[in-house]
Amino acid sequence: MADAIPLSPALPSTTRPVLQPVIRVRGLVTRFGPQTVHDGLDLDVRAGEVLGVVGGSGTGKSVLLKEIIGLIRPAAGTIELLGHDTADLSQRERTALQARTGVLFQNGALFSSMTVAENVMLPLKEHTDLPPPLIAEIARVKIAMAGLPPDAGAKHPSQLSGGMVKRAGLARALALDPAILFLDEPTAGLDPIGAAAFDSLIRGLQRSLGLTVFMVTHDLDSLTTICDRIAVLIDRKIRVGTLEEHLADPHPWIHDYFHGPRGRAARHAED
Amino acid sequence: MAGEAVWVESRYGDGVWSIGPAGRWTLESAGPAAEALKALRPERSGGPVRLDLGRLDALDTVGAYLLARLADRLAAEGHAVAVEGVRPEHAALFDAVREAGQAPAQPHGAAHHPIIDMVVRTGRTTIEAVREAGNLISFLGLVTITFARLLLKPSRLRLTSVMFHIEQTGLNALPILGLLSFLIGVVLAFQGADQLKRFGAELYVVNLLGISVLREIGVLMTAIIVAGRSGSAFTAQIGTMKVNQEVDAIGTMGLDPIELLVVPRALALMVTLPLLVFYADVMGLFGGAVMSYATLDITFGQFIRQLHTAVGINTVLAGLIKAPVFALVIAIVGCYEGMKVSGSAESVGTLTTKAVVEGIFLVIVIDAVFSVLFSMLGV
Repeated sequence: MADAIPLSPALPSTTRPVLQPVIRVRGLVTRFGPQTVHDGLDLDVRAGEVLGVVGGSGTGKSVLLKEIIGLIRPAAGTIELLGHDTADLSQRERTALQARTGVLFQNGALFSSMTVAENVMLPLKEHTDLPPPLIAEIARVKIAMAGLPPDAGAKHPSQLSGGMVKRAGLARALALDPAILFLDEPTAGLDPIGAAAFDSLIRGLQRSLGLTVFMVTHDLDSLTTICDRIAVLIDRKIRVGTLEEHLADPHPWIHDYFHGPRGRAARHAED
Repeated sequence: MAGEAVWVESRYGDGVWSIGPAGRWTLESAGPAAEALKALRPERSGGPVRLDLGRLDALDTVGAYLLARLADRLAAEGHAVAVEGVRPEHAALFDAVREAGQAPAQPHGAAHHPIIDMVVRTGRTTIEAVREAGNLISFLGLVTITFARLLLKPSRLRLTSVMFHIEQTGLNALPILGLLSFLIGVVLAFQGADQLKRFGAELYVVNLLGISVLREIGVLMTAIIVAGRSGSAFTAQIGTMKVNQEVDAIGTMGLDPIELLVVPRALALMVTLPLLVFYADVMGLFGGAVMSYATLDITFGQFIRQLHTAVGINTVLAGLIKAPVFALVIAIVGCYEGMKVSGSAESVGTLTTKAVVEGIFLVIVIDAVFSVLFSMLGV
């Protein structure tokens, strides 16, 4: 780890201010066969913000997330993560970059053969050479920070409820103190109380850890309560703005989305 | 580089011990940071401590945890610890981590003695095995009752499903089973011929083949192959349905999962296995006949004539009669393990393996029971 490539630190520090956007997408084109999902999409995610990504089914929200974290290769365009172009990285640089990003998959994607604590310890064991007792302690802290009770660490994923699986997945995503946290529908499948608690957990962690959060979501409450800006995938491009800006947008889909009964209810709850 | 990234200044002034960590307290430098903090020893015990966090260049969870742990350790040693100079951008992180770090450690069980552990494990495994056997027998009972109910109302029997499984477990197994039986016949004839040649009793290789293939090897080989092919398939099919909650859905629609899923499979296998055994017998003898002709110059005519005198219909039946019993065992074990699947997809894999092992084990045990029985009956 000692000679890892220098990347932006987890926190905006005085010695290395982050001037450029942490995620910078330019001219992204995605095609599946004859179908074009993204066509010349541009997106900037600023350091320390929570960006909510919305869009109708099939507009490529999850695909965009997967392209940014490098699971899918786009047909054209560049993606820069923390100032590094993801297309031309050596294997070593890619690994170092992956250690600076944390991903919470929709269903947690916890390794079912391991306990929660082992799940959280795995990236620490692989990417650092810390002594095992310290790794175990760090894992315990992360599990506690994700809002899980202490005895959850010894449990297997199959013994956890849906909300606890998400929290455990979040603890694992945060294991290496990433600069960017990617969330794929973090509140899907949770009850409203659990979803609200998870939202405030993400907000709290984002503030205390100085994270940049890229969140694909359909939860209008999440959008209104914790997102600084909202990116709407529409017409194979993306429109980024604050909630107020989107409310004023005359585009029919955006209007229906934010002015529909659910959108109104979520905004009134916020007021 | 990592060695210079973090350091700790420690000095005394006005009776106050000042600790000043500096540098980049992040995951990358956690190793040296932990070492540096471990080396900190007070000159006087119990004095006030001032932990100055103002000179940190960078801080992440790990660094914050190490410093919080230091503060807690010193406090526990009787020092009055004052954390000072925390930068505004680090304050929230430090507080959050300090709070999380104070969560009690995972409760560890009392220290175990390895021998006691082993005894406990043995006992637990034994109890588990006995309980498992009991559950398997009750499952057999459940299937029997369901089957009896179906006999009273045969229209409820899913004939399509039975036919489908006959095709899956029977017809589709023919190539592999035929090839293996043929090869076993070849090997047996070759080995037998080698021994019997010394006594000039080459012709008796037919007796050897007839008795061993028809009584034991044909049926045992078939059962083992079917346990590996179809027993595992039953567990995987039903287990996957269990994971997808399809079995629950069957229950909520007022249908019986045993009637719908288990009985057709058991019935199909009980029809199929005797047929497969007969086929395996024929293929095994054919392999033996080919080998006898090749190495001993026993013609097919001679082979069949000798086979007539060597084995009676009882020998064939002694093999075939075991087939439906083996079929029932394989099907019941396969379906039972499938029904036991819960929660994760991982358990489908584990239980599929278990179904095959248990199925083969029970087949061989029951074969031994049959042997004892036959010898007592003088068959």
